[in-house]
Amino acid sequence: METTDGPKPFASARRLSIEQDLTIYNAEALKEQLLESLGATQVLELDLSRVAEIDTAGVQLLILAKRESLRQGRTLCIVAHSPAVRETIDFFNVAAYFGDPLVIQAREAD
Amino acid sequence: MDEIHIVFVQEAREQIAALEAGLMDLEQGNRDPETINAIFRAAHTIKGGAGVVEMGAIETFTHSMENALDRVRNGELELTPALITLLLSCCDQLSGLLDAIDAGGSGDEPALETRSNALTTQLKAYLGGEVAAGTAAMPKETAGTVESSGGGKVGTDTWHISLRFGPDVLKQGMDPLAFLRYLLTLGEIAHITTLFDAMPAAAQMDPECCYLGFEIAFRSHADKTAIERVFEFVKDDCELHILPPHSKLDDYLTLIGELPEETMRLGDILVKSGALTQEELEDGLRQQQEAEAEPRAEGEAAPYLGEILVNQQRVQPELIEAAVVKQKQVSEKKAAESRLIRVQSDKLDQLIDLVGELVIAGASANLIAQKSGQTALFEATSILTRLVEDIRDSALQLRMVQIGETFNRFNRVVRDISKEIGKDIELVISGGDTELDKSVVEKIGDPLMHLVRNAMDHGIEPAAVRAAAGKPVKGRLELNAHHDAGSIVIEVADDGGGLNRDRILNKAIERGLVQPGQTLSDQEIINLIFEAGFSTADQVSSLSGRGVGMDVVRKNIQALRGVVDVATEPGRGSRFTIRLPLTLAIIDGFLVGVDAASFVIPLDTVVECLELKQEAVDRHYLNLRGEVLPCVRLRELFEVPGNLPTRENVVVVRIGGQKAGIVVDQLLGEFQTVIKPLANIFRNLRGIGGSTILGSGEVALILDVQALTGIAVRRETEQFTAAGALR
Amino acid sequence: MKTIMLVDDSATILLSISNILSKSGYAVEKAASADEGLTKFKANVKVDLLITDLNMPGMNGIDFIKEVRKLPSYKFMPILFLTTESQQSKRVEAKAAGASGWLVKPATADELLNTIKLVLR
Repeated sequence: METTDGPKPFASARRLSIEQDLTIYNAEALKEQLLESLGATQVLELDLSRVAEIDTAGVQLLILAKRESLRQGRTLCIVAHSPAVRETIDFFNVAAYFGDPLVIQAREAD
Repeated sequence: MDEIHIVFVQEAREQIAALEAGLMDLEQGNRDPETINAIFRAAHTIKGGAGVVEMGAIETFTHSMENALDRVRNGELELTPALITLLLSCCDQLSGLLDAIDAGGSGDEPALETRSNALTTQLKAYLGGEVAAGTAAMPKETAGTVESSGGGKVGTDTWHISLRFGPDVLKQGMDPLAFLRYLLTLGEIAHITTLFDAMPAAAQMDPECCYLGFEIAFRSHADKTAIERVFEFVKDDCELHILPPHSKLDDYLTLIGELPEETMRLGDILVKSGALTQEELEDGLRQQQEAEAEPRAEGEAAPYLGEILVNQQRVQPELIEAAVVKQKQVSEKKAAESRLIRVQSDKLDQLIDLVGELVIAGASANLIAQKSGQTALFEATSILTRLVEDIRDSALQLRMVQIGETFNRFNRVVRDISKEIGKDIELVISGGDTELDKSVVEKIGDPLMHLVRNAMDHGIEPAAVRAAAGKPVKGRLELNAHHDAGSIVIEVADDGGGLNRDRILNKAIERGLVQPGQTLSDQEIINLIFEAGFSTADQVSSLSGRGVGMDVVRKNIQALRGVVDVATEPGRGSRFTIRLPLTLAIIDGFLVGVDAASFVIPLDTVVECLELKQEAVDRHYLNLRGEVLPCVRLRELFEVPGNLPTRENVVVVRIGGQKAGIVVDQLLGEFQTVIKPLANIFRNLRGIGGSTILGSGEVALILDVQALTGIAVRRETEQFTAAGALR
Repeated sequence: MKTIMLVDDSATILLSISNILSKSGYAVEKAASADEGLTKFKANVKVDLLITDLNMPGMNGIDFIKEVRKLPSYKFMPILFLTTESQQSKRVEAKAAGASGWLVKPATADELLNTIKLVLR
């Protein structure tokens, strides 16, 4: 996992590139990493293009991070998906949650 | 039979042996729970295996045994002697069923089936009000429709599945994703909503817990049972509701009421997933509010989905209860089998065959190397020879099995015969871990059986006789095995009355085996019992009176290149000693030549080799340092043509305490060889035990020393007797 | 290729199930006892699913599952145990020990493969 300040759509964005599997076996470490990275920047871009495997625990962590970003008024977006990540997020039908913050905020306000 | 059936039959036989051993133990008063558990497990394993290989007859039969044993295990059924006997009969029946399968049958042949049914009926009598296995815990859902409290059917044609996973599902090695993906094998997920309302704040959130829930519209032709089955493993700790297509609106409303999330939010989800239309939802909610405004009749429950909802809460107490069930720590011997590999014995035989060829080829190479006089070559072949010997030993070791299993069978035999003949006899087994070649083990069973029966029937006296002689009333029979100088020694000993020398002699005279007035040593008289058609019992019992005499025992043992001896002491008992080679496949031989023919004498029988002095030899015996040595000339015996060499040699052999000389032309030295069985045509050739191929490619016959000695001794005796008669 | 570890003291079961699994494209690790299975796990062999008998001589299946779950690499591995119709209560106990689900003996090849597909990650 690495955080870089490379080219980015948001001026103050940091990019977190996740290299290992987004699975239960890494869940503890991932949780810490995601929340830490999120706390360190206004905008966190997640690069998941190199995630070979993702499971329920992984999706759940992404949801947690997203929810946390919304709660803290920050921005989290997934800027790159690996096929596995895209497929799983679609399967759970949570793409909209990550992709369209406005809709989600409206829902959260219910 | 294919491999799986062979493995099954073999394993089942092992389990039957374990069952029997356990039952006998229990019969002795042992009530160790582990023993009871072990026999239950044995029956259980047989049943499981039978199910897998689809041997219905065995499966059904073992099932009733297992039921009974389960009751015993749970202390619900007392293990009476009668029940043990019944269970032992069941073991016999199982063996019979396996025999049928061995013979290509299926075990449901009428005779077997009748017996199976009879035994099952007897077992059921013990079980009394039998609980049908497996149906007790889970009440089947009723087929009838549950009356709904009202409301029309909704228009949707999809199932609705509402799922809230329990937090521990991930820790139990399950991934909800896998279950949901599996749903796709049954139909199509029309819509899925992932809910994470249950997920606590980031700080409290345990990433190894599952907080997700799903509302799924599922289009499928599968029935409810099939859909439920997908969630069978998780239903105990997750909340699962399944609504069939076109369920009543009220059912949905009830569902909404039961789910943890807020009503309006759930309503939205249901509408979004296509389960309900907005109108249906609003209509339903309005009706529900009106209904709640009216007072509910006493005892009338809120709308209840009955058959459709799988209410998980009910199962919960069971889970807790089971979690506190203390694991009984059973100190069991390490599963010795854990490091075993099962190999088909024909593969081993093939290996041994190849090793045999290797030994021969090695011997040949060694001979050539020796002749060549090249030191380096000779050294190289010497090393090869040593390695080949090591390989031979290791390969043979692979075929070694413990004799214990064979011995243990006799527990049952002794028990049954004791009961039958009314003698109290204890079997003491020692040296069960002694190993010997599998092919020997397979063939030693029958002779042992005969010796054991004989000892019980004729050896050990009736209780009254024992008491009168001041001996313990309980007879003692020993089975013992140990290794001794390249052979295995098996002993069958009893503490009975011993063999009656006079009676044997009388009977031998009566049978014409011995001439009256012939002088015989005590041992010679005792050994007469091994002569054909000899029986010492005045009364022929059903056990030993099968027309199988000790001569057959001796013949069987000789066929294994073994010898049997007996030692007896009047009033103290008899001890039969069987001495067998460790393996039948390879022997160390001593190569001799007669004219152009070669013969192999098993090296372990060779005592010494001498040059034959012509003047010292009479026709059938020679003077060995003042001792009379019966002799046999191979040249004469096998009618080998050709002229006598200038010098003959004699190989002195000893077997079973008897010495003899074998007169040959040349002594060719020690030679390790592989025994090839003789073709049937040579079976009746006396004095030949097998054949082998020499390094040169020639065939050499392996001498049957026991037979040769017999021939020599008999001739010598005849001559002696004849000489005596002349005087 | 997914690897399935099979632990059963019955050679019949081991052979029959592994035959089915191999034919269906799974790699199979076999062990005739819990101890043997545990040794393999401790050597960190690659296993995606464990199928184990419950009632075995030596360490029983329940204790075995508990031990396996203690190993970090297999903490979340699916575990199926082999059971019979008559062992309903064992299911609860085994699940409490960390098992994922069960297979009822004798299972048809289809039942077996379907159940594996269900739990395999």
